[in-house]
Amino acid sequence: MVSATSFQIDLPAQLIERAQRGDVAAFEQIYRRFERPVFTLALRMLGEPEAARDTLHDTMLKAFERIAQFRGDAPLWAWLRQIATNEALMRLRRGDHLNASRDVPDFDTLADDAPAPWAHADARALEAALAQLPAVTRSVLWLYHVEGQTHPEIALAMGKTTSFSKSQLARGTARLRAILDPETAEPEVEPCLLPTT
Amino acid sequence: MPAADNLSLGEALRALPLAAPPGDNWAVLAERLPRARATPSRRHRLVLPAALAAACAVAFVVVQRTHAPADTATVAHVAASSSTNGTDAQTVSSEAESTRLAQLQQRSAALERWLRDTGRNAAPLQGQDLAAATEIENLIGLVDVELAAPRQTQAQALWQRRVGLLEDLTALRYSNYRLAAGGEVAAAYSID
Repeated sequence: MVSATSFQIDLPAQLIERAQRGDVAAFEQIYRRFERPVFTLALRMLGEPEAARDTLHDTMLKAFERIAQFRGDAPLWAWLRQIATNEALMRLRRGDHLNASRDVPDFDTLADDAPAPWAHADARALEAALAQLPAVTRSVLWLYHVEGQTHPEIALAMGKTTSFSKSQLARGTARLRAILDPETAEPEVEPCLLPTT
Repeated sequence: MPAADNLSLGEALRALPLAAPPGDNWAVLAERLPRARATPSRRHRLVLPAALAAACAVAFVVVQRTHAPADTATVAHVAASSSTNGTDAQTVSSEAESTRLAQLQQRSAALERWLRDTGRNAAPLQGQDLAAATEIENLIGLVDVELAAPRQTQAQALWQRRVGLLEDLTALRYSNYRLAAGGEVAAAYSID
């Protein structure tokens, strides 16, 4: 999958080495470049600016603690993104969002070739639609489409199955369609909660 | 935002503008940085004394199995080396590195297998143990990011670190497994 994540910022090796030696000024340069990508990732996953800001803070603190362990085989942005994802997921776990997996109704009946409403939606409308999704569903969408993670990778990070990731992606995509273009969406059917006898 | 009719959801999401946090968050962070460097991985460190003790037992139960093929490989390697006169030292060194890398990978796989097969019978971790396990798993994730890179110059160091972290995690899970097993395992592999 081709990924054009906003994290993809290459840094000079010298800057990383200085930060690894504990040079706070060098680390500040790294912070300044990644502040918005980290905050955006956290905001998309958690949906709350305050929680996203805390995630940014904790991510950068951990990055500073651990940067000396970074060996340099992978780009620093990928390493930093992993810390940010972990921090956001930890907050989702604390809020018990990862167990709330059945709160997006199935829209599997929608045709795959239905017109994509996000092609004509402006950024604000798409952001508003995203905000209506449950945090875990939105996180799967974001990690898959924007950060380029695979279903097995998402499943592992969330402590769930690959099917869970796939189903969240399908349901979230269908839900976004329904929010952005309610006229073409299938009617939303509430799950039947009748007691079994 | 791109406006093509066939715009994929991924393209639409990636085209969203970056969000900026309010205020000067660097100033708040900068105040904590020197202390952060002075106390690295605090939560992870808390679990290590217990992990080290339990690792003695785990080493017997889990890791020993992975040593057998590695030892055989080492013996074969030494035999091969000694029977070849004038062997290039660089080649021997490279072979030794490959052997060591294979050992680490086998050990990593064995520990993961144990965690998957046996660890699932353990009682769920709670409180500080859960936090420590999550942190170790996150650290393994960071190592894996580097191991996934196409260019590998530090593979042995990374695999060594991965095995070390898996051993810590195994020790943590093993303690719970012993509790869930009602002491039977503890009796068999006592570390006291």
